[in-house]
Amino acid sequence: MDHLEMINLWKKYDEKLEKTLSINYRLITELQQQKAKKALKPAKRIKLFGIIIGIIFVLFLSFLAFHSLTLEKIFFTGSLIAIIVFTLIAIIAYIYHIKLINDIDHSESIMQIQHKLSKLQLSTIKTTAVLFLQTPFYATWFISFKWIEESPMSFYFIHLPIVALLAFTGIWLYRNIDSKNAEKKWFRVLMGDKEWASTIKSARFLQEIESFESGR
Amino acid sequence: MQEKLTAPPDFLTIVEANKRIIFKICNAYCQNTTDREDLAQEIIYHLWKSWSSFNSNYKLSTWMYRIALNVAISFYRKEKKTTHTILMGDHFIEVADETLEEGLETNLTALQQFINELKELDRALMILYLEEKSHKEIAEIMGISTTNVATKIGRIKEQLKQQFSSL
Repeated sequence: MDHLEMINLWKKYDEKLEKTLSINYRLITELQQQKAKKALKPAKRIKLFGIIIGIIFVLFLSFLAFHSLTLEKIFFTGSLIAIIVFTLIAIIAYIYHIKLINDIDHSESIMQIQHKLSKLQLSTIKTTAVLFLQTPFYATWFISFKWIEESPMSFYFIHLPIVALLAFTGIWLYRNIDSKNAEKKWFRVLMGDKEWASTIKSARFLQEIESFESGR
Repeated sequence: MQEKLTAPPDFLTIVEANKRIIFKICNAYCQNTTDREDLAQEIIYHLWKSWSSFNSNYKLSTWMYRIALNVAISFYRKEKKTTHTILMGDHFIEVADETLEEGLETNLTALQQFINELKELDRALMILYLEEKSHKEIAEIMGISTTNVATKIGRIKEQLKQQFSSL
């Protein structure tokens, strides 16, 4: 079949649809009204929920940190401040993601929109990676000078290596939670099947878009 | 063929005039009726949402194809499809039974199947080509160069030709 035959066949298809296709406009109107009421997309809803929870968490930790500003409680206050900083980074990233979602205008070219959507998905993964950096601080907030003085052995030989291990793991995860590692088994276990599947799809699609744009 | 918009026509008139292309896009990206209905609804919703910001300096068909194809590609790539409450027995899209002549119907089914097997972006390109859009307009809709459009269409056509010859 040559290209003219293909186009003619497509025209016949169009003529057939002209005669047979009808749209239920009453249903459109009803469904558009329903849809307009819950226009907030699930992705946006999840991020908004994350922001609210994040702000409550930051306020709670700030309250505790503010009331613990003494030298004795330096480990406690320092750990809280570090956790607050990482949570704030995640909140800012989520606000940025919501802005990106709002800025998506489907009337832009297909390459622009699909590029933005895939990047947004991959950026969500990077935010998760940043949150892993706070892991060691969940093991430092209860350290005290008294404990170090009274049980130096348990502190230096048990607790400190644990903190070091958590710090190493957090930094390793931050550096390795990336779409280039999405096909690895640990990534799938850590991120869950759904997140893993959508990361893989976005990363592959981004490659496809880039090769499509370059004309390969 | 759509012309530049001079006066804002009623939104439902736009949908009515473009219902065939909306259906063809839905058919190329969704295999089952429920997904097709959902996608058609999603496309019409996005058209409706963007209608107020439509810039009349653009060609109406470029705007329409961009939205419909962007929504279709994103919908196709979603892990879980959203289903809406459609009343029993009520259908959003109705297609009455009618078939083309036997040979044509077989060829049409084969053409649709070949299109469905293409990658998402190639599928969009092929639909636009079959709709007889110019390379310039396809390039505007897709966001790639006209040279790139010509090269890709040439490759896909060759691929389809080979598939037809192996039937």
